Amino acid sequence: MKGFTKAKHLIFFGLILILAAFTVANAAEPVVTTAWVEKNLNNPDVVLVDVRKVEDYKAGHIPGSVNVFYGSWAITKGGLRNELPALDDLFDIIGSAGITPEKHVVVVGPVEPPPSRFDITRVVWTLKYAGVKNVSILDGGYNKWVADKKQVSTDTVKPKASSYKAAVKENLIVNKSYVMSRLGKAILVDVREPDFFQGKKKLDFVAKLGHIKGAVNLPNSLIFNKDGTFKTKQELDKAATDVIGKDKTKEIITYCDTGKTCTAWAFILSDILGYSDVKIYDGSTEEWTKDPNAPFEP
Amino acid sequence: MYRAFLVDKDIIKNDIHFSEGCTSCHKGNPKAWDRKIAHKGLVSRPSKSLSTCETCHEDVVKKFKNSLHFTTAGQREGVKGRFSAQELKVFDNKVFEASCRSCHASCGDCHVSSPPIGGVKMGLIKGHRFVKRDEGKTCGLCHGGRVYPEFTGEYGGSADIHYQKGMICVDCHKKKELHGDGVLYKSMKEIKDRPRCINCHKIGENDSEKAMEAHMMHKDTLSCYACHSSSPYRNCYNCHLGKGAESKPGFFLGVNPRDKKTFTTLRLIPTVRKTFKSAGIEMEHYDRLPNYWDTAPHNIRKRTDRTRSCDACHKERRDYLTSDIIIKDGSKANVEIIFKKNK
Repeated sequence: MKGFTKAKHLIFFGLILILAAFTVANAAEPVVTTAWVEKNLNNPDVVLVDVRKVEDYKAGHIPGSVNVFYGSWAITKGGLRNELPALDDLFDIIGSAGITPEKHVVVVGPVEPPPSRFDITRVVWTLKYAGVKNVSILDGGYNKWVADKKQVSTDTVKPKASSYKAAVKENLIVNKSYVMSRLGKAILVDVREPDFFQGKKKLDFVAKLGHIKGAVNLPNSLIFNKDGTFKTKQELDKAATDVIGKDKTKEIITYCDTGKTCTAWAFILSDILGYSDVKIYDGSTEEWTKDPNAPFEP
Repeated sequence: MYRAFLVDKDIIKNDIHFSEGCTSCHKGNPKAWDRKIAHKGLVSRPSKSLSTCETCHEDVVKKFKNSLHFTTAGQREGVKGRFSAQELKVFDNKVFEASCRSCHASCGDCHVSSPPIGGVKMGLIKGHRFVKRDEGKTCGLCHGGRVYPEFTGEYGGSADIHYQKGMICVDCHKKKELHGDGVLYKSMKEIKDRPRCINCHKIGENDSEKAMEAHMMHKDTLSCYACHSSSPYRNCYNCHLGKGAESKPGFFLGVNPRDKKTFTTLRLIPTVRKTFKSAGIEMEHYDRLPNYWDTAPHNIRKRTDRTRSCDACHKERRDYLTSDIIIKDGSKANVEIIFKKNK
């Protein structure tokens, strides 16, 4: 009887190991190379989503990639830039690109001019929010694909649309009242450049100079190499831990001016560096500074 | 020399337009070494005279000569109802040619080099290539105030669903419309074969039960835009000749001034009482035409506030043009297009 129980335990742990191995095999790399994409061009489980403008896509794109340009994923709503579309619209957008929750989506975008790099990370974060399990970024974007002299197509891809439905990960994108409730508890990460964080500069549509009370500064300029590829994991890890520490279980909320560029560090912290509780504040300073009761400091 | 004006050798080698050399279009003296002598008689915008292109593209130019893109007759037609016969003569002589017509497109403005917009010239479209089309530049530059940024979502709100699905200008606006069909039209409203939503979206096809009911109920009284235009579009205010206008986003629903049985999206057109005063035109009949006109905002979505909730119109009257919000000192004709509670 004792021997039988031992055998049962062995089988159980064996199954766990197999399951774990399967899970690892299924987990997509958060950042993939042009070589990886080239190898997977005909992989039916991979959907390449090109978020560049329609005209740019038509002029040339990665063979098989579908075009859903950035403005589809982030809209102006309630006077705020870069907001989520309504959920039914968002699901339509995802479904019409032929994406299902199980597909591995690789987001391809422009990396020049540099601000467009954040189009890519905002779309990635939106897909994660919408319940897509495996989402990656093509390192260096379409520019790297061209620079690496990979094959380019001008044939527009019409994906087979699906009816997309999934459980939304609401906790990835939070609103003002949530941030207010977490002041002094979560780590608030301001990803704007130091002059903006320190209150020396601001964008026209942001009402006040400074940053949300208690925030720390981890600027976006630490993320990319000159060619728009990501810096190494070690470099990113050092930049992050210098500012927010090594405890990867702490709640982190990133913000910027409109909820777009803060998705880059959010993506790096959660998907590359393994921080387990990362959120973005969608309204960011554009919304926060309009509220006279929202604590903001120079 | 500006880099944008350097012509790549490969373009010259591979494009038949260069087979006769630069001077076949730009004139000047190719043998001269002195800049002044070489540039004597230089034509900087060769297609300003359509005869340059007509030599080879006779059929296209023959039609294009009468097209609204070239004649800009629509601008004259839009305002002439405000003038007396005498004022119209002054307008034609003093204003139309000097101001409105200066905006007309010639062949090169779409196929080679962007036209000056508000005094700013963006340069060659793609080196000195003769591009068949490049909508973001060829259409987007002239129509970059209203149509194009609304279409791509850059003006705010959401991008037009057609752009999101990969459609660009020429997918609806065909060559016949852009180059003209040879008929001398007074305005685009006279052209029968224009893009219409119903050409692709027949009522009842692919409609849900709810959509079908809404479409059947409203099809004779509402334009498609009234429900499916998704967000505020650009409205221009206070046009004074030579001084330009100012713009801001707005969304207005009211009676279609061209078809008073229907309700549609209206856009403020910036002609004010003093617009042509400096040309000596008082606009005797200013009050005959309204300041708001039916418009087709290029920001269409399947779902909008009005498709999501009947209450947006039927209870809240949201975005209705009312006497409270029409422009001050506007045309008396505006009263015909505002929403009246007994309607």
